[in-house]
Amino acid sequence: MMQYLVILLDDTSVSYCHADNPYKERRLINLDDLRAGIRYAMTENLMIQFVYPDYALPKEYLDVIDTIDHHDIVPYPLKGDVVVIENGELRVENLADAVVVVRLKKAELFDSGEAIAATLPKVQRLNVVVTDLETFTDEDLKRYNTLLDQWAAVLNAEYLHGRTPQLNLLTDRMMLTKPNHCNAGVENITLAPDGRFYICPDFYYSQAEPVGDLQSGPAIPNQQLLRLDHTPLCRHCDAYHCRRCVWMNRQTTLEVNTPSHEQCIVAHTERNAARRLLESIRKEATFMPEVEIKEIDYLDPFDVRKEW
Amino acid sequence: MQKVRKNDNAWQSGRAKNITFIVTKDCQLACKYCYLVGKNVKERMSWETAKAFIDYVLSHENEFREESVVWDFIGGEPFLEIELIDKICDYLKLRMFELNHHWFNSYRFSFSTNGINYHTPEVQNFIQKNREHLSIGITIDGTEKKHDLNRVWKQATPNANGITQPSERGSYKDVVKNIPLWLSQFPDAGTKVTISSADIPYITESVLHLYSLGIHQVNINVVFEDVWQEGDDKRFEEQLMQLADAIIDGGWYQDYACSFFSEHIGKPLDPELDNQNWCGAGRMLSVDAAGNLYPCTRFAQYSLRSKKALVIGNIHDGINQNLLRPFLTLDRTTQSPQKCLDCEVASGCAWCQGENYDAAQTNTIYERSTAICLMHKARVRANNYYWNKLYRKLELEGRREEYEANKRDVKPEIC
Ligand code: SF4
Ligand code: SF4
Ligand code: SF4
Repeated sequence: MMQYLVILLDDTSVSYCHADNPYKERRLINLDDLRAGIRYAMTENLMIQFVYPDYALPKEYLDVIDTIDHHDIVPYPLKGDVVVIENGELRVENLADAVVVVRLKKAELFDSGEAIAATLPKVQRLNVVVTDLETFTDEDLKRYNTLLDQWAAVLNAEYLHGRTPQLNLLTDRMMLTKPNHCNAGVENITLAPDGRFYICPDFYYSQAEPVGDLQSGPAIPNQQLLRLDHTPLCRHCDAYHCRRCVWMNRQTTLEVNTPSHEQCIVAHTERNAARRLLESIRKEATFMPEVEIKEIDYLDPFDVRKEW
Repeated sequence: MQKVRKNDNAWQSGRAKNITFIVTKDCQLACKYCYLVGKNVKERMSWETAKAFIDYVLSHENEFREESVVWDFIGGEPFLEIELIDKICDYLKLRMFELNHHWFNSYRFSFSTNGINYHTPEVQNFIQKNREHLSIGITIDGTEKKHDLNRVWKQATPNANGITQPSERGSYKDVVKNIPLWLSQFPDAGTKVTISSADIPYITESVLHLYSLGIHQVNINVVFEDVWQEGDDKRFEEQLMQLADAIIDGGWYQDYACSFFSEHIGKPLDPELDNQNWCGAGRMLSVDAAGNLYPCTRFAQYSLRSKKALVIGNIHDGINQNLLRPFLTLDRTTQSPQKCLDCEVASGCAWCQGENYDAAQTNTIYERSTAICLMHKARVRANNYYWNKLYRKLELEGRREEYEANKRDVKPEIC
């Protein structure tokens, strides 16, 4: 069931997920479209997440935004519920209350091991988004594994001291007993500055087809393929924290319901690191007794699929 | 000539890899139902492309683990390129031997031809040379009238886009003259017949005609495309019942088979146990003249009406394995609408992944087209009639057990 409406306020709104936003020219959403989007969310009982550009919005926009309960997703250094940091430096001073999203490429990730480790005790929640996930090789995985263990050591110490900072790559899986994917097009939908609906912001940024407009509302063709029960691999998978990114699926395999090898092996490397972290916390304390992460000997569910 | 089907079990159990060379997009005919919407005279495979493809496949033995291989040649009309094909086959044999490849001695060459060039010295020499490893199917649609309804010669000049156009001249006589030679060389060979809306009235006479030519196995299918008119299912059912009467009353059922009638069809399917995909796309591999690779020829541009070709790689970079994943994880339930999951007569109701892709609302292979729904249901009713009638007759004659022990098992043809 739909629960969220994401509204991109401007063509240059910050990207908080996998795709880069290629738009450089400012174009605000039309004020009437913004009002209509809010009305739509109210009638459908959707929680709105506004996504901001890096400049201050005109007052009449802020007034309209204020007419509804919502969350703000903003680029650093603006203030919001979710603050997105791109291009390098991890600055989290005064962000203790926000969810911090760091978007970086694999190479930057491998250079940021220390910085992320040092950041973890200072935030409530850090989401690390690797934007070129599809380039991961087996060699990269080894390095990634080492990084995850390094961060796990920091988290282990924090948790044993009763503090519980979250790192999406490790702690999410540790706390989940069922899948918690992105669910774009199923639980959330995006209204873009052109006044039309898209499956998620990345579909808009990559110039995919819209899936409806404000007059008739969203109508996603083959919407069932976005649902977990229509994904032959993911529906049997217990990398519950995985984004199961349907946009990345489409980019890499041409099908929204089929993940790439790389998305799976990265998620499973995280899953296995979360398993080790959970074990090590449990050596000292009782923690999340309802969660069980089994030992498995594969990283890609495709390799153990049922063969017909 | 020796019979060729020595190793039938391995070939039929799906353990063979099917690798198709689209050697040409040209054909002497311009059949009216031909799904190859972009057939043209320009795209012929070069020897360099064929060789690079073979080198790629044979040097990646790890990615092709199937026990055996069928090297398939299609067109257009493949025998238009017999010289190239001969060279390809020689090279394949040589390289499989030199590399000590696990396919050496476990391969065959397969052709679907319109039969027009079958008797020529070039084709006959090729057959003599490779006869131990060969299967050849000639397409003939039935009686002269039925055959010539669709299978007509093309016009001498293509249209402005290089696309061939149909003429008025039927090809029956040019094909049927080669049938005796073909059957003397391949006595077990079968023919493929494709039924579209206009063909329905001719089904019975066509199948009987093919039997009378000496063809024992008639593989017959309705097209997957959405071509059906209101009332076609009733007409189809009546034709099939007539055919059932003719086959049973005429005693043809003992030595001849028609794939329309099968004991395996028309039953409900279990969502867990019977969840396999129908077609082999993705388990097969095709290459075209440009060196592009496809999960099946049906995904090449010349086979598609409304979608872009689905290319999974090329002879230089190899296969993008991520693009194969949707094909290799596809199952029946994920792609089927609810009515098919609840269907009481679902078994044997086929689909073609390529047609599904072409007809889908989005660019997906996961949306099953059910254009044949009413036709399948009609077939199931006629099929039930056939078996009830046949078994009653055999029982009355006290021959049921004898029949059961010797019957030809007609498996639903996969593609
Ligand atoms: S790890 Fe792979 S199979 Fe599992 S949910 Fe993620 S994308 Fe799907
Ligand atoms: S297409 Fe029709 S006949 Fe075939 S399985 Fe679906 S509902 Fe049954
Ligand atoms: S059914 Fe269609 S897509 Fe499948 S293998 Fe046959 S032609 Fe190709």
